[in-house]
Amino acid sequence: MRKPDPNVRIAVTGAGIICAIGRNKAEVWRSIVESRDGIAKLTRFPGETFPTDIAAQVVDDLTPMLPMSRRDAKRMSRSDLLAVIAAREAIEQAGEASALPRGRAIVATGTSTGGLLEGEDYFFARLVRGRRRAPASRVLQQPTSAPSDAVARVFGLGGGVVSNATACASAGASIGMAADYLRSRHADVAVAGGSDALCRLTYSGFNVLQAVDPAPCSPFAAERKGITLGEGAAYLVLERWDDAVARGATILAELRGYGATCDAHHPTAPAEDGRGAEAAMRAALGADSVDYVNAHGTGTLLNDSAETKAIAAAVGMTIPVSSSKSYFGHTLGASGAVEAVITVMALREQIAPPTLRLGQPASDCTLDYIPHTPRPMPMKSALSNTFGFGGSNVSLLFALPERA
Amino acid sequence: MTRVAINAIGVVAPAPIAAVDRFDTSGLSARTAALVRDFNPRQFIAPMKMRRMNTLSRYAVSAAKLAIDDYGRELPAEMGVAIGTTFGPVQTSVDYMREYVEKGAALAPPQLFAESVANAPGSHIAIEWGLRGFNVTVTQRESSALAAAMYASSQIVKGSVRAAMIGGVEEVTEMVYSVLDRIGALDDTMSDGMVMGEGAAMLIAEASETAKYGFLAGFGISRDTTASISDWGSDPGAIVTAMRASLDDAELGVSDIDAVYASANGVRRADAVEAEAIRQLFGEVEVVKTKQIFGEYAAAGALQMVEALRSSHRNVLVSSVSAGGGIVCAVVTR
Repeated sequence: MRKPDPNVRIAVTGAGIICAIGRNKAEVWRSIVESRDGIAKLTRFPGETFPTDIAAQVVDDLTPMLPMSRRDAKRMSRSDLLAVIAAREAIEQAGEASALPRGRAIVATGTSTGGLLEGEDYFFARLVRGRRRAPASRVLQQPTSAPSDAVARVFGLGGGVVSNATACASAGASIGMAADYLRSRHADVAVAGGSDALCRLTYSGFNVLQAVDPAPCSPFAAERKGITLGEGAAYLVLERWDDAVARGATILAELRGYGATCDAHHPTAPAEDGRGAEAAMRAALGADSVDYVNAHGTGTLLNDSAETKAIAAAVGMTIPVSSSKSYFGHTLGASGAVEAVITVMALREQIAPPTLRLGQPASDCTLDYIPHTPRPMPMKSALSNTFGFGGSNVSLLFALPERA
Repeated sequence: MTRVAINAIGVVAPAPIAAVDRFDTSGLSARTAALVRDFNPRQFIAPMKMRRMNTLSRYAVSAAKLAIDDYGRELPAEMGVAIGTTFGPVQTSVDYMREYVEKGAALAPPQLFAESVANAPGSHIAIEWGLRGFNVTVTQRESSALAAAMYASSQIVKGSVRAAMIGGVEEVTEMVYSVLDRIGALDDTMSDGMVMGEGAAMLIAEASETAKYGFLAGFGISRDTTASISDWGSDPGAIVTAMRASLDDAELGVSDIDAVYASANGVRRADAVEAEAIRQLFGEVEVVKTKQIFGEYAAAGALQMVEALRSSHRNVLVSSVSAGGGIVCAVVTR
């Protein structure tokens, strides 16, 4: 098998995002610089009673943003639709200079639950109407591979599809995987990202684990009580550097490297010493330095403490760190991609997004977390961390493209 | 060039295709599946640990234990894990939602939620044997296990890890079975439709010049752009592209291949497109259809790979063509 060539540089030539603070990069960045979060009362599941009642939701009706007919959209899950919206922004940006070679473009998507929201609707319909009468058309898009299939179908991409269902590390794993397939020339272009719609099982499940903060999450803070659940999707278009240059594409950033490890510690809790996360960051960094870390920063007691140890060990105590989840919650399987896009925008704008609601940092959170307001600062490179259930850790290193 | 050697195999295989007795099939048009039977996970997993595992995790961890026993020496340090699954823990989600309905959203059991993530099997394997390399759960419908093997192989040749546990796991559930039946995808006679299979297969892949079973020599991926989001496409050229790419990756030619382990699962139209692709690329070649024995989704496709590795053929192309258009091909050599 051909080796992923370490000398091949990976260019980011497109980025798309949709989450609770905006429907595209421009809206999202405006919210970031205005320190405006997207956390509000949970409205997605009327009639359901949960111990907490807030979430970072995207608007209910996605159809005005879709590039396909209502008929095609009707067969897709909400996770599929979010994926299509974010992928469109990324593909359009990458295709501005000249057409992307879509026939050789792979789609790599991370998701934790795919079309489970529609699976739940089907489950309830079966309870009421029985399995012979419940409408089954949308439940066909329940598998976690469906968002990749939907994006590939809508945009006519022929290079292949591959999906990751590695819980909250899914999208980070997909982006790393896609980069390696470009380096090994198993594909020429990659549309790589993640998508997850809120669903009842996840909202309820994190609640029964007592991992949800009843108030908007406050990562790294002394009073933090857990996550805020969010939803969204984001994609990057990745290409080999020379191909992107030859195409005349604008290179937004370079994906310098990634690391993927496992704690091998516990099904849901991170290793308290952060050793797996540290190893992922070290692998992503290689011999590079870093100016900013976009943390996984979920707001749970265990994550923020372990991640702080990992960051301190991997890059030291002085590099500024922040959690964008304080804006748009934990987008679960999509988080690796949503936060990768935030990291790329931070590099382009030379502004590090802050950690909102960070009044008093916890005693075990001892880094510079950029509280409250964005910080303009020179950055050449930035890490984006994403960890998940099962102890999977992925860290991505992005850098500003070097000017020739 | 680093070679990816398969030096251990562990399988929790389904029994031959027979009538489903796990759930009620009345009112459905299909009645049969290839189910795992007489499986006693206590042989492989400590009771305290087993309580925390769903069926999918039990299959996967048991297969991994069998692979590790087959390996027979100390495992390489920092192993990766890449597991394919098509539907993942659907039964656990259903069980969770039942509790959710009966007890309320605040009182469903947290243990079921922890096991409702698709990567729970891979997580248990990592914890059980301390595997600290990458840990990914790959899902791409019928191609899930091959796609997982492709990633793990790429990481071994890249040098990220020296070895990896790769494979696939699937469970036949009433929910998925009845939905596939409803849309007409199942057919007990396999004259125009598939029979579902399940089980787990785990393989230990490592960088080595010698192999107990064989080598994963190359992979190719493509997508049939004529496919809808949930049905097979109609373009044999897309399948030829992936097959050719896997041969190029393995640095082999068409004439080097002794047999094609086909994706053919009984869905008539899809099988015809694949058969045409094989004809276009190979002309005459032996075609082996493992899904007539194991059913579709058996170990998420990993059993197809295992059969190719255990066959007497020298060089085999394993083909996997998915609903939704995804195609993954692998070349297995001695």
